[in-house]
Amino acid sequence: MTAPPPSGPAAGKTPARAAVRAPLGGTFLSGAGGRLLPASLPLRFFGAAVVFHLLAWLVVLITAAQWPQWRGGLGPPLAALHLVTLGTLAASAIGASLQLLPVATRQPLQQLRLIAALWWVFVPGVALLTFGMGTASPVLLAAGAVAVIAALLVFGVLLGLNLRGARGMPGVVAHGWGAVAALLVLLGSAAALVALWSGHSVLDRDAARGLHLLAGVFGFMGLLALGLTHVLLPMFALGRVPPDREQLIQAALAGAAILAGGAAALGLGRPTWLNGAATVLGGAALALHLHLVRGVLATAMRSDLGRSGRLMRVGWAGLGLTLLLALVRPATQGDQPWGLLFGAAAVAGWLLTFLFGVLQRILPFLVSMHAAQGRRRPPTPAALTLELPLVWHLRCHLLALAALAGGLASGSADLIRLAGLVGALGAAAFALFFQVLMRRMRDATATPAGERRLEKK
Amino acid sequence: MRFMRQVSNLLDDEHRASISLLDRVDRALAGRDEVALKELAQPLVRQLEHEVTRHFRFEEQHLFPRMDEAGDGDLAALLAEEHDTLRAVAEELLPLARRLSGGALAAPDRTTLMRLANEMVERQVAHIQKETMALLPMLDDLLDDDSDRELAFAYAADA
Repeated sequence: MTAPPPSGPAAGKTPARAAVRAPLGGTFLSGAGGRLLPASLPLRFFGAAVVFHLLAWLVVLITAAQWPQWRGGLGPPLAALHLVTLGTLAASAIGASLQLLPVATRQPLQQLRLIAALWWVFVPGVALLTFGMGTASPVLLAAGAVAVIAALLVFGVLLGLNLRGARGMPGVVAHGWGAVAALLVLLGSAAALVALWSGHSVLDRDAARGLHLLAGVFGFMGLLALGLTHVLLPMFALGRVPPDREQLIQAALAGAAILAGGAAALGLGRPTWLNGAATVLGGAALALHLHLVRGVLATAMRSDLGRSGRLMRVGWAGLGLTLLLALVRPATQGDQPWGLLFGAAAVAGWLLTFLFGVLQRILPFLVSMHAAQGRRRPPTPAALTLELPLVWHLRCHLLALAALAGGLASGSADLIRLAGLVGALGAAAFALFFQVLMRRMRDATATPAGERRLEKK
Repeated sequence: MRFMRQVSNLLDDEHRASISLLDRVDRALAGRDEVALKELAQPLVRQLEHEVTRHFRFEEQHLFPRMDEAGDGDLAALLAEEHDTLRAVAEELLPLARRLSGGALAAPDRTTLMRLANEMVERQVAHIQKETMALLPMLDDLLDDDSDRELAFAYAADA
């Protein structure tokens, strides 16, 4: 029996015809090999995120006594918060989106030197900015802010250029555009806050803070997390990619929630109603997101995502808790401790937890793709991964979250100190995992002997 | 996940069976369950000897050239490279799996088998991920009804 030769419909197809079909998560896998950035570009951002994450918990540990009295101004808690939001979350978002979006949108990035230079502006900028925040030094803070805002503006332009030429994955692209718009609001509100701390009033303080929180946590980071989940989860679990229509509805709901929250922050209309609408719309977006996630897992060949999946689930629970706290806050007649708990649930409970669930899976995969280039038998992700530190990171991270929530709720410096200690141990464990990953990548790409060593691990 | 083409569904069914077997091997390895591992040795031998060879050959002879013509040569080349890697692992694993299914293995050989089986599990899963997410949906476009029917028949006849 002889099968037919490759003729018929295939023969007449052009590359352009092929490019418009199948907007699937698999395009990430299929295109990843051809559109990998040089390893050093995304990995330098992930490396910075790992270091800033450790620094953030160390600041919590060392300055725990100041936390119960903190009301949102300059000081170590604000520095720790920005070591997480900018240093860890944003740095990872830059690394991940620079690597993932070109593959998802089928648009290669051309500006490699610019991306390398971006790191040299962004990372020292974050260090300077957070040091200025921690020591209440407006000059250092302003200098750091200028560098960070400039770097993030350039990143926003790169992201926008990539999304503008995107082919396929309209749901992911819509979330990406929302993140770009939120990034602009985030940077504008950051500039207004820096101006305020430097003695120049551009925007009402509460309005600027409200916009900054909303645009940064829910807009920029939140939309990227919600959108990229539809690329990553089907790939991890081998499940069906959610339909474009549902992804677009999710983007619209989340976008509407952020707009309503933004209008409330600016004092437009009736802020209480607008905040309520934002929470309800955000809840609808989360409900749809979880429905789509369930759909992916229901069709998955491998629905047990292990430690990574557990962290992602805790992250989604963190978002649910954040929305519940948003409902409770107006009834509490004040910011303490509900405002702090709301921020902790959103930043640490949701975004940070979700991020580390994704990172521990995507980093070995990415490194194995780099190590595969030109190799007959490249190392597998498992061979590159040191498991034990990830086990410790998971335990420490969850314990640190619980201690932080308890400390903030009760105003206990001791519990906050415990959170800092345990969180720092977890962050150190993750740093060890990352360091070993880098060493094994170097071994694998340097010598055949190194390759053999990895095969035996 | 069901596809429009018979060929896609045939390959998908084999992928699912393969993932299921590999998951069982994975669990037996992780739990150091010697009895289960021995029971799985024969199905694993069958898969390595027959299914992998036949499945790979079919894709390389009939699907990858079509992908290449349609402008997806990069993906076809990537998948073909992975076939070569998997064949190399299978070549080392197969004699050990055969000996395990026929009786006891010496301790050093058992360690090697576990290492190779783990490697096979991980590489197969990653490869099937790529095919399920990218190759099989692509066949909906690459094949028409006639070529789909003929290829599906040819593949079934090769079993």
